[in-house]
Amino acid sequence: MSIVITGAVGALARIVARKLRNEDDLVGIDLRPLHSGRRLYKSFHHLKRYNQRRAAEIFRSHRPRALLHLGMRGASARSLNARYTQNVLGTRHLLHLCSRYGVERVTVLGTYHVYGAHQHNPVNIREDAPLRASQIFPQIADIVELDHAVTHFMWRHGEVSTILLRPVNIVGPSINNQITRLLRSQRCPILLGFNPMEQFIHEEDAADAIILAHRGQHTGVYNVAGEGALPYAGAVRLAGGRTVPIPHVLAYPVVGALSRWRLTFPKHLMDYFRYATIIDDGAFRADFGWEPRYSLVETLGSLQFPARHA
Amino acid sequence: MAGNPKGQVNGPFTEESRAELFKCAGLNSAGYDPWGLNLETTERTAKAVMWFYKHYFRVETTGVDKIPRGRVLLVPNHGGQLPLDGMLIALALLTDPKQPRLVRGMVERWFPALPFVGTLFVRCGQVVGDPDNCRELLARDQAIMVFPEGVRGSGKTIWNHYRLQDFGTGFVRLALENKAPIVPVAVVGSEETYPSVMNLSWLARLLGTPYVPVTPFFPLLGPLGMLPLPVKIQIHFGDPIWFDSDPDQPDDEVQEKVDLVKTRIQSMLDEGLEQRPGLRVLNKLLGR
Repeated sequence: MSIVITGAVGALARIVARKLRNEDDLVGIDLRPLHSGRRLYKSFHHLKRYNQRRAAEIFRSHRPRALLHLGMRGASARSLNARYTQNVLGTRHLLHLCSRYGVERVTVLGTYHVYGAHQHNPVNIREDAPLRASQIFPQIADIVELDHAVTHFMWRHGEVSTILLRPVNIVGPSINNQITRLLRSQRCPILLGFNPMEQFIHEEDAADAIILAHRGQHTGVYNVAGEGALPYAGAVRLAGGRTVPIPHVLAYPVVGALSRWRLTFPKHLMDYFRYATIIDDGAFRADFGWEPRYSLVETLGSLQFPARHA
Repeated sequence: MAGNPKGQVNGPFTEESRAELFKCAGLNSAGYDPWGLNLETTERTAKAVMWFYKHYFRVETTGVDKIPRGRVLLVPNHGGQLPLDGMLIALALLTDPKQPRLVRGMVERWFPALPFVGTLFVRCGQVVGDPDNCRELLARDQAIMVFPEGVRGSGKTIWNHYRLQDFGTGFVRLALENKAPIVPVAVVGSEETYPSVMNLSWLARLLGTPYVPVTPFFPLLGPLGMLPLPVKIQIHFGDPIWFDSDPDQPDDEVQEKVDLVKTRIQSMLDEGLEQRPGLRVLNKLLGR
């Protein structure tokens, strides 16, 4: 089977590709050039945007039967315009191509950030909970819009079997995202007096979940979490770092000012380190028989080693 | 009032009680449940406040053995400005020598915004009072504690002591949905720990808090006036009430059940006050 994988240069896509390449013909596309690991993909296409015309040519020539859309730009990326183009316009275009060229199964990797970090959040948020992230942080409205675009596509195009995953923080030895960079730093800032529960999933478990979702029959939206939750400070300790408490009244303006110059963590994500956003992945476990293989201790312990390529 | 093991011995955790608590809590490999409960922190906190429980408030309990095993809703009266009543009930059950229970108290929605206190409450098993949280916890056969009076009860002044304020109806629907018994609880003495004579509502609006009490000692004595008065506190647990009917029944039928629970708690409070001549006289003087 021919499968198109977006975000093919990313560490998670490489892990997925490594697990799939013996059985399927993989077509990788990304907005970044692929410097190594070309053997993972039968062919690789470096695009400027997912919504450019060349994307259609890839679908026309390879006639893929499945799409793994792992190329979402994270909430930590600063350029709102670039994120909107990639996440919303790009995703909509890819979904349109899937419907036009007879793709049978579409798996989209979203994020749990769509639920937002809020003091009123109940624990074990299910898939039908309101997506309040854009109400709290308008800066990540694109991620919520991507989520809506996929669910709308599911509704309108029943002929394409579509599944949207909302995973928690994906961490592991080869992942290089905002949270792994933070946890790998020896001194992690923490808001003084706040230590919210956080969830983490190991990169191998996340890749297995994506493959299970891709091979399964169920459609819909599914949360994906790891073994459980633990406080942020505990996660820092398990990852081998130390916490540096900062009063929140000071942290918000300072981080806000510094993040304008890309010197710190983006301010709009700081509430995730103040209030818990704990999701329930019971539906995914029940429908797909998924269980994480890595415990929380193993998941965060894997960050004690320097980042390596998948 | 049921007979009481007066001055019940609440001591440090035994190995058996600790094992029992760990078994029921459903913790992950890192030692936490999804709400953030950590039993080591709970145990340390319990030991730290045990002196206040035993020697400052000299807590006495009756009817602890009436609490059924498994899922249950504890419904106490609320008073005394700070949630000391909730803490003492939780402590009484946590350190019960026969059947230690971890009680998950439902706290106000603004609690997570408080630094330190919000985090400590979460580690000790307290959760935001959201119906989804209640359902999840009851599904895990946990004991939850709800204060249907909310801030109406805790923020009331001495002129309304031991008069139950309006009850919300959500707790009865929760009990019906989850087939959980309701245990009425009467706390006698908590109202006098902070005898508020008036509420500075304009200041509360300014500070974003539900109320700002004025007591004979606060704000007159400054921070010293914030210390609760060392009133003896009695906690009476009533017979469990089992409702077995349609959870989607109309509001007026639910209201009847709410009124039944409220009446039961009020009569337990009145009985409890009868046993406390000092408090009875004080409340008579205040027009109760």
